[in-house]
Amino acid sequence: MNTTTLRRAGGILWVVGLMVPLAASNNWISILSIFAIYAVVALSQDVVLGRAGMYDMGHAVYFGIGAYTTAVLNTQFGVPILWTMPIAVVVSAAFGIILSAPIVKLRGDYLLVATIGFNEIFRMAMVNNVGGITGGPDGIFGIGVPSLFGYPIMSQGGMYLINWVLLGVVLVLMNNLDKSRLGRVFRYLKEDELAATTLGVNARYYKILAFALGAGIAGAAGTLFASQLATVSPSAFIFMESVTLFAIVIVGGQASIPGVLLGTVLMFVVPQVFRELAEYRYLVFGLAMIVVMVLRPQGIWPRRSRPE
Amino acid sequence: METFLQQLVNGLTVGSIYALIALGYTMVYGILKLINFAHGDLAVLGAFIGLTVITGLAGAGGAPANWIVIVAFVLAVLVVAIAGVLLEFTAYRPLRHAHRLSAVVSALGASMFIENGIMLIWSPQTLTFPEGIMPETTFHYGSVVISATQLFIVAISFVLMLALYLYVNKTRFGTAIRASAIDQDAARLMGINVNKVIVSVFVLGPALGAIGGLFIGVYYRQAVFDMGWIYGLNAFIAAIIGGIGNIPGAMIGGLLLGLFSSLAGGYISSTWQQAIVFGLLILILLVRPTGILGERVAEKV
Amino acid sequence: MTTNDNALLSLENIGISFGGLRAVDALDLTVKKGQIVGLIGPNGAGKTTVFNMITGVYKPTDGVVRWKGEAISGLPPYKIAQRGILRTFQTIRLFTGMSVLENVLAGQHMRTKQTWFAGLLATPAQRREEKALRKECMDILERLNLAHVAHEVATSLPYGIQRRVEMARTLAASPELLILDEPAAGLNDNESAELNKTILDIRDSGVTVLLVEHDMNVVMNVTDHIVVISFGRKIAEGGPEAIRTNPDVIEAYLGKDDDDDDEELSA
Repeated sequence: MNTTTLRRAGGILWVVGLMVPLAASNNWISILSIFAIYAVVALSQDVVLGRAGMYDMGHAVYFGIGAYTTAVLNTQFGVPILWTMPIAVVVSAAFGIILSAPIVKLRGDYLLVATIGFNEIFRMAMVNNVGGITGGPDGIFGIGVPSLFGYPIMSQGGMYLINWVLLGVVLVLMNNLDKSRLGRVFRYLKEDELAATTLGVNARYYKILAFALGAGIAGAAGTLFASQLATVSPSAFIFMESVTLFAIVIVGGQASIPGVLLGTVLMFVVPQVFRELAEYRYLVFGLAMIVVMVLRPQGIWPRRSRPE
Repeated sequence: METFLQQLVNGLTVGSIYALIALGYTMVYGILKLINFAHGDLAVLGAFIGLTVITGLAGAGGAPANWIVIVAFVLAVLVVAIAGVLLEFTAYRPLRHAHRLSAVVSALGASMFIENGIMLIWSPQTLTFPEGIMPETTFHYGSVVISATQLFIVAISFVLMLALYLYVNKTRFGTAIRASAIDQDAARLMGINVNKVIVSVFVLGPALGAIGGLFIGVYYRQAVFDMGWIYGLNAFIAAIIGGIGNIPGAMIGGLLLGLFSSLAGGYISSTWQQAIVFGLLILILLVRPTGILGERVAEKV
Repeated sequence: MTTNDNALLSLENIGISFGGLRAVDALDLTVKKGQIVGLIGPNGAGKTTVFNMITGVYKPTDGVVRWKGEAISGLPPYKIAQRGILRTFQTIRLFTGMSVLENVLAGQHMRTKQTWFAGLLATPAQRREEKALRKECMDILERLNLAHVAHEVATSLPYGIQRRVEMARTLAASPELLILDEPAAGLNDNESAELNKTILDIRDSGVTVLLVEHDMNVVMNVTDHIVVISFGRKIAEGGPEAIRTNPDVIEAYLGKDDDDDDEELSA
């Protein structure tokens, strides 16, 4: 299956997805709705990890920042949900820049540990209700629903469609990234940073840019997440979430859109479906991660090196 | 002044535990350049095994006899060491030549597996350790209280660390370990059985970790299945502070981290204690990422 | 020393120490526009160190590196590249997993005006530019006789071809000065002869060349001007014939107890 076919198939699948609210049960709509949000976050993680090659194991931070930004703006200042999204994107991206700037120079494993550190510091700041606005360990409640042209979207189906549209937009962006100079620069940096610099690439700039992009996109997902759940709490960005995102990219396939989507299905959708096995969930997860890596270290659906 | 000394005592105790666990991280990283995310969970496994042995043999009422405690430690070490070897064999060895991130994810998976295995086998609740495992005696200097438990932990830890240090630096096999950490291929060419070295590192590291884990249980008199992640992370931070891959570094890093953590908790804030530790980590990474004593890992140029 | 009027690159009294070791000392070197200059010397003479000082890996402790009069010593590698100084690597650092064309496209990074958001949004201007870039790269590949392997994975090709690909990549960046780090390393005689031709073609297209090299076949046949260093200092400079017969040079090589070098010199 070459990439053009794949792209077309993906496009068709997406369009089919739009019709889900007509056909599926509420349970499935809500599962796919959450899937869309997590897929967006996973794709944003892929920008930093799979494409730019930086070991970011604290990415949930940006998801959380987006969610909290929306929560605060909506509950405290009455800003309508969809209007908070661009702000959430900018705030998350700003944090992406601020947090990554001092650490992008670090070698892989050190960078990894630093991102874990930031993730935890943030989570604790939220739990300890820094600035009095974050609501402490219980978080913020009563977040509203998005409204379009004055009509609030109350139904599951409606929320799903908004999430699905965001997913579509991000998929298009990722696709464009693949075909653009920026996407290539990320690949060069990941492959051989030294060689890239001798070709004039300002490594630091692009690394920070990768974080900013990844953070911004995660922030957008955070907005919809906050609205969907109507509450946001520090549990949105615990370390386990970051680990899951990290694993999705590696297990699914770095820099591979179908791979990352597949990874998201496995890591998020499957456990939702098998709720009854809740107790054994992480046991099976953990085992599955080991098995998949041992059997297929390049990921389930790795990026194909395709001739241009 | 006396609060300070008390914090020092507490910090030294916790630091010794961190040091024991940190050694496992640093030895594995030195040779395989892999963060063994499952190591903290192995240490916790040691705590639970020890608990089971103690409550199993001691039965109800009364303090467990000394020999029971000793057996508990020995069994904890044995089981966890075996677990460590199994872990290496199943989750890491097949990935030796694969991309590093695959091994990282495998390690994360192993961590999840062990942690949840503990939860399912024992309990999701916090379990309590019986009283009297250690003598209840305490020593008083002014208002500073040192318990026998603390003395015991610090003393045993020091003995173990000294033993490890001598082993690694003065014996032939110890040299093989250090050589493999510097350059695996060269070591292999020298006739060193690198696989044996790796297996032994996965015995020594988890063994020390198990003792550290059981110390946690004995000291705090409780254990919970998911404490591995925070103890593990702190121990890893300790290893980085001392210099990753550097065995004396891990020891020093552990003690320093314990002291720092204790003082931060006592003087600044206990709610922010952990965040301050992370802050220290970030600071070290920015200013001196190779750690206090310098990292010891092979760099492939 | 002649005037530095059309000197592109000049190293003025360059020196660097590592700890107690004086690796390079009081070195003057000038490369004029349109020249092919060779930097040679026995092993350990400091050639790579000089190289690294020009390309921004090291900062000289003494003296200054000038590019068209501007001091560039100590600038980071990417800024040096942005000024038109490109380099190749002794070990060939092509991007693995990418085709020859994709590798050469990398060279065009500096020449594109495409901003990152134009790329993300796939604006018509961006798409046009992408097409143009590819065409230009294919042109370069044709010039270097690589068009037939454009879509092969670069690192799967024979060594001699990989060398050419790496050079094509640097040419895609439209360099003014191309610094070649032991380009003949690992090449057989046929490939070396082809390399000579390639280097001459590159100069004819307007690129100035500085090369560090051991292989006398290449050095003698391709360079206009040679600078010889030994133990970090310049011991001779001049045209190929003069260098070949220069007693100091011969001694520097012979003094290393390497009889093969003696034969190489007279090759």
